[in-house]
Amino acid sequence: MKLLVLGLDCAAPDVIFGDERLLNIRRLMDAGLYGKLQSVVPPITVPAWMCMSTSQDPGSLGIYGFRNRVDHSYEKLGFANSNSIKSYAMWDHLAREGKKSIIVGVPPNFPPRRINGISVGCFLTPDTTKDDFTYPTSIKAKITELVGEYPVDVKNFRTDRKDWLRDEIFAMSRKQWQVVKWLLTEQEWDYFHFVDIGLDRVHHGFWNYFDKKHVQYEPGNPYENVIPDYYLWLDEQIGSVIELLDNETILLVVSDHGAQRLDGGIAVNQWLIDEGLLVLDEYPKEVTPFNQLKVNWAKTKVWSEGGYYARVFFNVEGREPQGTIPAAQYEVFQDEIKARFEAMKDDKGQPLNSLVFKPKEIYHTVRNVPPDLIVHFGGLDWRSIGTVGYPNIYVQENDTGPDGCNHAQYGMFLLAAPNCPINGEFEGAKLLDIAPTLLDLAGYDIPESMQGRSLVAGMEKRILADGTEAEKEKIIHDRLAGLGYV
Amino acid sequence: MKKKVIVVGLDGLEPTLVERLLQRNQLPNFAKIRTSGHYGRLQTTYPAQTPVAWSSFVTGTNPGGHGIFDFISRDPQTYLPDIALNRFERPKSMLAPPRAVNRRQGVPVWQYLSKAGIPSTILRCPVTFPAENLLGKMLSGVGVPDIRGSQGTGTFYTQDRTVQPKEHEQVVYLDRAAEIVTRVHGPRNPRTNPPSDFTAEIRVRVDHGARKLVITAGSNLAIEAPENGWSPWVRLKFKLSMLQSVTGIVRFYCRQIDPHVEFYASPVNFDPAAPLFPISSPADYGKTLSEHIGLFSTVGMAEDHTGHNNGRFDEMAYKAQCELVFKEREDMMMHELGRFTEGFLFTVFDTPDRLQHMFWRFIDPEHPNFDPDLASSLGPYIDGLYQQCDALLGRVLEKVDENTLLIVLSDHGFNTFRRAFDTNTWLWQNDLLALEGGKKPQEDLGDGFGAVDWSKTYAYALGLGGVYLNMKGRERSGILEEGSGEIEKVRSTLQTGLANFADQETGCPAVRSVSRKEEIYSGPFVKDAPDLLVNFCPGFRVSWQSSLGGFAKSLFENNNRRWSGDHIIDPDTVPGILFMNRPVVHNHAQIIDLAPTILHYLNVPDHLSMEGKSLL
Repeated sequence: MKLLVLGLDCAAPDVIFGDERLLNIRRLMDAGLYGKLQSVVPPITVPAWMCMSTSQDPGSLGIYGFRNRVDHSYEKLGFANSNSIKSYAMWDHLAREGKKSIIVGVPPNFPPRRINGISVGCFLTPDTTKDDFTYPTSIKAKITELVGEYPVDVKNFRTDRKDWLRDEIFAMSRKQWQVVKWLLTEQEWDYFHFVDIGLDRVHHGFWNYFDKKHVQYEPGNPYENVIPDYYLWLDEQIGSVIELLDNETILLVVSDHGAQRLDGGIAVNQWLIDEGLLVLDEYPKEVTPFNQLKVNWAKTKVWSEGGYYARVFFNVEGREPQGTIPAAQYEVFQDEIKARFEAMKDDKGQPLNSLVFKPKEIYHTVRNVPPDLIVHFGGLDWRSIGTVGYPNIYVQENDTGPDGCNHAQYGMFLLAAPNCPINGEFEGAKLLDIAPTLLDLAGYDIPESMQGRSLVAGMEKRILADGTEAEKEKIIHDRLAGLGYV
Repeated sequence: MKKKVIVVGLDGLEPTLVERLLQRNQLPNFAKIRTSGHYGRLQTTYPAQTPVAWSSFVTGTNPGGHGIFDFISRDPQTYLPDIALNRFERPKSMLAPPRAVNRRQGVPVWQYLSKAGIPSTILRCPVTFPAENLLGKMLSGVGVPDIRGSQGTGTFYTQDRTVQPKEHEQVVYLDRAAEIVTRVHGPRNPRTNPPSDFTAEIRVRVDHGARKLVITAGSNLAIEAPENGWSPWVRLKFKLSMLQSVTGIVRFYCRQIDPHVEFYASPVNFDPAAPLFPISSPADYGKTLSEHIGLFSTVGMAEDHTGHNNGRFDEMAYKAQCELVFKEREDMMMHELGRFTEGFLFTVFDTPDRLQHMFWRFIDPEHPNFDPDLASSLGPYIDGLYQQCDALLGRVLEKVDENTLLIVLSDHGFNTFRRAFDTNTWLWQNDLLALEGGKKPQEDLGDGFGAVDWSKTYAYALGLGGVYLNMKGRERSGILEEGSGEIEKVRSTLQTGLANFADQETGCPAVRSVSRKEEIYSGPFVKDAPDLLVNFCPGFRVSWQSSLGGFAKSLFENNNRRWSGDHIIDPDTVPGILFMNRPVVHNHAQIIDLAPTILHYLNVPDHLSMEGKSLL
């Protein structure tokens, strides 16, 4: 059977499963299997989509976020791109069976992956008017012919120009879905995976206008419905895609992580300075990004990167150039710092309840240069601010622009397969279970290397049956009822 | 000033009645239009049926050009009848919902106008379901099913447990309680075996003092149905599953309170604000309209003749319901007229057709179901309705200026329906249709040709006058070879045998002629037409049974039903009417001439290539 994955980046289970107006979603829920989907740590677009596609955790992929340390120097951070992924993804496994795939906007997909089929770049493509963003390259011309300039993202989506942002996101997504429908109908595929990035951008741009519990929420504000309207629009798109499918297609609507309100930011490096773990030669007079600070590495023990979560690094003797923590004390030190993070309080003096993870504990393996700790401040109610120079560590504005939403650990999945042996709400599904489940339903072997499990493992697949003649006759008879003339 | 065309369609208005009332000066507004332009009879289609004729009106072609030949079609692979106006397609994926498809082909006038940038407002035109994209607005008409997918299935509620369901209805027994809890049957649930219904709970409080029922549904405000009266529309929510629900609207009629409670629920109509299938274009037009004029019936056959035919409510109640429907239609037309500045505005009023079907027996003393008492009180109501149409035109005329072309027409006339002719029995008597195991035609053989021996059958009747040949390669068990001499033999047997065929009992001619499809149709869809069409004489019609592939008790039968008037006779004997506020170039207008007339008036040159010709 064919597999179609419609990825909705950042789709929140409560919103998508809770809105009665999403008729196509509701019909799929009725017919299929759905529920919350536990994302990886960190629950972030890169690497989450690739964790889903490979059934490998971030440590195994060696990708811990958009930016990763390339070595143990203090400065070098590399952006993850498509070449960073070494594990086999769904399309690679299928290619070994001679099957064709189409992937559209599955991050990271710049430079565009060369797959057995068609690959269209993701939001990491710098400029689609200049760069090759498709494989084969000839597809670019066809896309341009179809929709004109093809946007992969709304640049500078963290902005106060909300009308502009809303219109740009819709304009982008309209073009993307148009291309997707064209590829679905006009091109050959056995596996099709699209990621709608517009939803993530809508969440970040408008969550504070939508979520009544958000500190910045104002009742009756003009952007209250931007998020629900976008979901409604997505539902229409999904409905029109379903029309294009046949009974030999399995459909998965899925998100890489959820969304939740952002209460504020924790200026993590500033806190480390306060704690004496990070030492500067000179404290900045104004708010300054970490890479522009004068760090006294010889006295520094810990520093961190900002983002939706904190990647915390230790300055270890023999590992970092000017290491200060003896390698033998690494684990004791790690426990101590973990405990200090966990003990942090929020701005009202209440426990922040942050989640602190040791990469070696949570991942099967740890490749490349992992952080020494990963911190979800307040269970992601707070983001991590890497910049230094605030009056205190609790920051309301975001150092990279206005943002009303953080990622949530639980995304959603909605699997509608004509042959799926079970339906209804499913509890306990994890992001890494997606690939094996799809392979299982579509009748492929599940590679040993996959770290998730099939949600329908060992279950007999359903066989499709058509209505009987008598049923059809009854339906037709019913249709004539009340005609009057007969 | 932009040019405007207003078309008021009055389904089934009969020329002889119109002419008589005109003579008596009882239709002053019709007369005004006649004086400013034209009145004449309007040649209708073969056959003279609402969906066929209105489809020819909108496309300017004979039925061979639009493919609607009857209310009823048949599947040659199963010989089963089906509604011919639309179909539901099961998409390839079981994950997708069924899709409604309009079966009318050809290009309707509003598509030519849309292409020319001229807007249209199309209200309740038959065979426009599902509503199509156009420049302007559309609300679908005849052909829109109720929420169960039928043309109209009502429910009778009673505390009398001896009551049995009649045709196309459900009966629900009520408890004897101060507050009765019961359910309204909604959409079919195909997932259960056998299929069941989704239902919505209602609570009915009987107010003996005020002689009324007070009905609450869900969180809605209570609505009231006075004894012998209709309630307003109420929205009901049907829970299809834990996750999905659909709303519909229903109206109740309280038949009696003592000695036991009996009431009737109309077929559940699609909610204009949230229909299960597209009944308006743009999709939210129905919602917008309902916000302006209130909830309105959406089912194609809005007048509930089945409930009346079954005797669940009487003539006065049926008349009251017809008036409610007429009012809804008038409200929507006047709402649109109020903001009409250019293009084409077209509204169809079905009520005259539905009323005359049921009330004709009150103006025909020779009808088998004539009732002199009721005739004296209800007979005049047909004239009354014509006068109501006239009053409506008075309101329309206020909006007509020198740049407006006004067209008022009916799609066919009306006549009495006293005797039913069972075409299938005649075919059997003439060895054109064979029954298995020596069976004889009788009513209990049922619909759908259950006992027919197809290996010896040459022709079968189905629908409202059509006869099909049992063609090899087309019908599942066809025996007539394409191009064989046998075909000619069968056709001429029918044509000569039925021409001027007389009713033995009354001596009256029952059939005028039989037409071959190639004699009356041309165009790409002729292949889908019945091979022959029986043109009945006034007073006759095909039997109830033959229309669905069954057999009546005898070749001729009295029509004892309330459904006592009809128009499915030789089209030459049931022309429609045509009024225009502009002179016409000749006085033998056909219904296919009006689409080109509209285009011509609005300067759209496509009319030159149409089959019909402009009357201007």
